[in-house]
Amino acid sequence: MSSIIIIAITAIVVLYLGLYKVKSALLPVSVLGLLGAAASLVCVWDKNISYFNDMLVFNNYAIAFSILLIATTILIFLLSGNYFEKISSNVAEYYTILLFALSGGVVMVSFQNMSMLFIGIEILSVSMYIMAGIKKTDSASNEAALKYFLMGSFATGILLFGIALIYGATGSFNLVQIAGKASEQPLLFYAGVIFMLIAMTFKVGVAPFHFWTPDVYQGAPTLVSSFMSTVVKTAGFAAFLRLFGSAFTSVPAIWTVTLVVMVVLTLLIGNITAAFQQNVKRMLAYSSISHAGYMLIAILLLGQASPNAILIYSVAYSIASVASFGVMVAVKEQKGSDDLSAFNGLGRTNPVLAFVMTVALCSLGGIPLTAGFFGKFYIFGVAIAANYTWLIAIAVLMAAVGIYYYFKVIIAMYLRESENSESIQLSLAYKFVLIFCIMITILLGIAPALITNIL
Amino acid sequence: MTITQSLFYFLAFVAIFSSLLVVTAKNPIHSVLYLILTFFTLTGEYILLNAQFIGIVNIIVYAGAIMVLFLFVIMLLNLNVESEPQKTNLMKFIGIITGGIGLVVLTAALKSTDPSNTVVIQEVDMGLVKNLGQVLFKEFLLPFEIVSILFLSAMVGAVLLARKETK
Amino acid sequence: MSETLNYWLVIVGILFVLLNIAAFLIWVERRMLALWQDRLGPNRAGPFGLLIILADTLKLFFKEDWIPPFADRHVFVIAPAVIVISVLLSFAIIPFAPAIQIVDLNIGLLFFLGMSSLGVYSIVLGGWASNNKYSLLGALRGASQMISYEVFMGLSLMGVVMLSGSFSLRTIVEAQKDYWFVLLQPVGFVIFFIAGIAETHRLPFDIPEAESELVAGFHSEYSGMKFGMFFIGEYLGITLISSITVALFFGGWLGPAFLPPLAWFAIKTAGFILFFILLRASLPRPRYDQLMEYGWKILLPLTLLNLLVTGGIILFLNQP
Repeated sequence: MSSIIIIAITAIVVLYLGLYKVKSALLPVSVLGLLGAAASLVCVWDKNISYFNDMLVFNNYAIAFSILLIATTILIFLLSGNYFEKISSNVAEYYTILLFALSGGVVMVSFQNMSMLFIGIEILSVSMYIMAGIKKTDSASNEAALKYFLMGSFATGILLFGIALIYGATGSFNLVQIAGKASEQPLLFYAGVIFMLIAMTFKVGVAPFHFWTPDVYQGAPTLVSSFMSTVVKTAGFAAFLRLFGSAFTSVPAIWTVTLVVMVVLTLLIGNITAAFQQNVKRMLAYSSISHAGYMLIAILLLGQASPNAILIYSVAYSIASVASFGVMVAVKEQKGSDDLSAFNGLGRTNPVLAFVMTVALCSLGGIPLTAGFFGKFYIFGVAIAANYTWLIAIAVLMAAVGIYYYFKVIIAMYLRESENSESIQLSLAYKFVLIFCIMITILLGIAPALITNIL
Repeated sequence: MTITQSLFYFLAFVAIFSSLLVVTAKNPIHSVLYLILTFFTLTGEYILLNAQFIGIVNIIVYAGAIMVLFLFVIMLLNLNVESEPQKTNLMKFIGIITGGIGLVVLTAALKSTDPSNTVVIQEVDMGLVKNLGQVLFKEFLLPFEIVSILFLSAMVGAVLLARKETK
Repeated sequence: MSETLNYWLVIVGILFVLLNIAAFLIWVERRMLALWQDRLGPNRAGPFGLLIILADTLKLFFKEDWIPPFADRHVFVIAPAVIVISVLLSFAIIPFAPAIQIVDLNIGLLFFLGMSSLGVYSIVLGGWASNNKYSLLGALRGASQMISYEVFMGLSLMGVVMLSGSFSLRTIVEAQKDYWFVLLQPVGFVIFFIAGIAETHRLPFDIPEAESELVAGFHSEYSGMKFGMFFIGEYLGITLISSITVALFFGGWLGPAFLPPLAWFAIKTAGFILFFILLRASLPRPRYDQLMEYGWKILLPLTLLNLLVTGGIILFLNQP
């Protein structure tokens, strides 16, 4: 709870700093505020505090995901450097809106009451609609914002409808009470569950509700896309699991069939479409759809290991995504494009960047010795425990397709010649973030036990 | 049939009829007008449920403010029948099938519901201002306050998107 | 049986009186304007020119009821009715005297706000349906003006609601037994009254009409009794805002016993109506952007501050 307050206050302070034109203080203040918020979360570890009639419950699950969200945001902020200043002079507002979005994310991972879930999702989504459209003169950015807004608000409507039906069936918004009264009005309850399932899968971008993802990720400014594909997605999955893992466990049959179809569709569409992309940003957008498919497996087969599997996968995926998007921002800034050809010869001109990208992509692809391998490993572990071997077969096959298109970038970097041989200059903070991400990725790839048993 | 019941059926009929007209009306302004009519019938339904506060707020906020903004925007855009994009027949067909399935599911769900055990009947005065205030500021205090973050974010964003760049 | 009859009598009586007041105000306004501007005003027909009311009404009734061929017929006809209906409905909750009130809703004040927010449709739809650029400009201005001023119109009343602890107008009037709320809520009163002028789009806030720039604004294309409806709607609006102000801030029917309650209410309301006319006689019309800036940048913060201070003081005084 105190972390939400700290984040919101930091956002307002940053807004005022922007008003008084203290540009240089924006980043340090934001990062300090976020560190404070993370520290306040660490302090309540294992305490399981609930706030205001069980509106929010900060159990270890919520704290772990909140810290992950905050850490990812700090990394993205450190990457931002003067990225936002190139878009417009209103930099403070960007930090503010991202901070607000983060507070919505923290609400989403810690909710215990459907009303908080709704508000958290709305705070996060509304902030993201705005951030997607901040390049006001760029029509791709405008299109992204409008598309995201229209589809997102439609999904929110469906979410509300689902909440209303479930309230009608159980007479409560509280997850525990809902779980207890699930069988009182079964059909009404099922209809509500299906509506909420649709809304949640939309918010995390799962097929067949994925159509907004590629356009929005490509149209939005790259750093915003990285925020969307990490913080928004992680918060979405954490909320998804929290909702379905506690409130709807008593009626799995009604939604597992639907979800299995979605998982298979997502894995197929995400990976196969990504393989055909020539633009790296769009490829990462499709690959983020496919990652949503893997994470969905853990929700589909709810078990003891599910929260842990999702956490590990989110950590690996977030860190690797931040690194790969970071490299992409740097390349785009120098070459003016994020097509595959822009990466040609990066291995010779910028060995460090190329190495960072390679490790990040390997982690996304699930190559051993990177964190991503253990992410997939634990997800598949959940599936094996539930005897879904055929699903694993599809998932592994699709992971192979994933490795194919990730390696397209790696091959371009190391085996193709580039037109110019200028190397890209990076600021210290930028280098620190990239190296830090890689260290974490490799560290977790070697010693996953650091986070496997914390939940 | 009691007066309340017949009022309910009348309002429900008008609500459904006018919301169908919202979709089918060719002129966007007429669509908005039918939508306003729909809001009025919904207000009527709220009042039948003794939820006077929600009913009147529905008029103040939706019919009185948001719909005016709708009209405002439509007038500024100068939308009319000719400039309306038409959907292809395939899209219409798919839409009808999907919507129809949704209708069947919802009808089935509502039909099986036992109407004697609803929340509203248990607490008749739940919708009055006083009781609503008690619930809002005691049980649901946190969501009520957290919503301010949402509004602040939306406001900052609206100003950000609407302001002219000096650069 | 007699109770029902009494009830119907009150309704019909209020309706009759209101419509007559609206017509009577045509004469009052023109005579008073003339007085304040050092002119004679209408003085030919009947004593003091009183029969001008009859003449004006007859003229409106017998004028050609014209619908422009380029207009949207249905909306064009609906628009003038909306304002009269919404204003007349608002009168349902006004306590003219202890026994004279159509219905005492426990959400009375909100009902008034809801109805007054519907009045804007009259302007917007009338302006749009006329299919005339001046009308449309008037309509757009009207929409933004009324939506903006509606915001703090509602907020400025919340101080009164806090003091009386109720949305019911009868309770609010009875809560003013000791002192009128204008003493406790001076800021709220001023802001509500300004917002009320803007809501009735009277001078100086008659931007939607602005005859010097927009012909006659949103009702340029209207004639005959449809124009008459806008006209009556405006006077009814003045009466409504005056009587709501009296009920909320000036003790309603309360007053020394030598006059009946209804007379007190009428006298106070008449005072505010005259003030409306005086404003028209004395103030120039601001520019459109000035109006909006004044609303959002001055009145809204003031209203919020008023709300904060009122709430703080009430909380402080009610401390156990």
